[in-house]
Amino acid sequence: MPVPKTRAYNACVAIPREDTWVVIAGLDEGAVIFDVVREVTREGWSVVLVDDGSRDDTAGKARAAGATVLRHAINLGQGAALQTGIDYAIRRGARNLVTFDADGQHAAADIPTLVDALDHADIALGSRFLGTVEGASRRRMLLLRAAIVLSNRLSGMRLTDAHCGFRAFRASAAPSLRITQDRMAHASELLRKIRANELRVVEVPVTIRYTDHSKAKGQSGFQAIRILFDYFFRAS
Amino acid sequence: MIIRILLLGGLAAIGWLVFLRRNRLPVHIVVVFLMLVAGAVAVIFPELTNDVAQFVGVGRGADLIMYVVVIVVMFVLLHYYTKFVELQRQLTGVVRELAILRAEVERVTPPIKVSSPDE
Repeated sequence: MPVPKTRAYNACVAIPREDTWVVIAGLDEGAVIFDVVREVTREGWSVVLVDDGSRDDTAGKARAAGATVLRHAINLGQGAALQTGIDYAIRRGARNLVTFDADGQHAAADIPTLVDALDHADIALGSRFLGTVEGASRRRMLLLRAAIVLSNRLSGMRLTDAHCGFRAFRASAAPSLRITQDRMAHASELLRKIRANELRVVEVPVTIRYTDHSKAKGQSGFQAIRILFDYFFRAS
Repeated sequence: MIIRILLLGGLAAIGWLVFLRRNRLPVHIVVVFLMLVAGAVAVIFPELTNDVAQFVGVGRGADLIMYVVVIVVMFVLLHYYTKFVELQRQLTGVVRELAILRAEVERVTPPIKVSSPDE
């Protein structure tokens, strides 16, 4: 991990929680989205949910839970949805941005840890291996370990976790972290851009809760092939 | 020979279709017609393709045509794939602008409950 070079400059004046925007990309998450969004808005964070063309009432439920809802007219993919939310949050004056999963596997209680880490970094990545993982099968843990080795090889960074969707970054870093991978390869793209732009990055322990719901929505090993294809052949 | 009639007929049909769709650049049309003429020549004088093939070091004219077609098809595929990716990028931009615009409009004029965007 790079050692912070400059003194924290946003520690002096605490940023109000409503200026930290939590960006959630949701697709057909109507079953859980109300509780997921409520957990975040209750803590005072601003939430923008990008409904990526859901066929259920994800948008309505998220709005009821206090999120600002944006709706993609057609399904574009998680990467595109996150970037839409980021663009919107910045337009609304966001100082910090947090990306958060819609399926309930992240805990709002970890957001302050991530945001506080921005005192010394441009981007803070959640790490489930520094933190705790609840409810993951042995097979999934092995798959994740393999993904980390591969991801570190690709990105040239040494991280304890890969592709954890839970992260925070300063609004000032957003332009250099712009997502052009519409689908799932955006996580690898992010690492590439962190390195290319020499951003200061820290890893922060977070808790990941795998539930039956999140597992059912989660990715299969086969999708990894698609991600690799996107990463190598659609790179901009 | 029947095959010659079939091939020439096919080439003529393509030429006719291209001629009907004259909304493309003149360059495209000229290129297509040149290819059609070359094709017709190859059908009418097959020995000519053999001579060309021999000249460039390929055994038969049919083989030469095969190789050229493979390269051309790959080029065309790549060309359209590039266009497709570019189009997708533009589509993402449009959908994103639309989503943000709608959210901004709803913020300025709060939705009157009817505007729930369910199908």
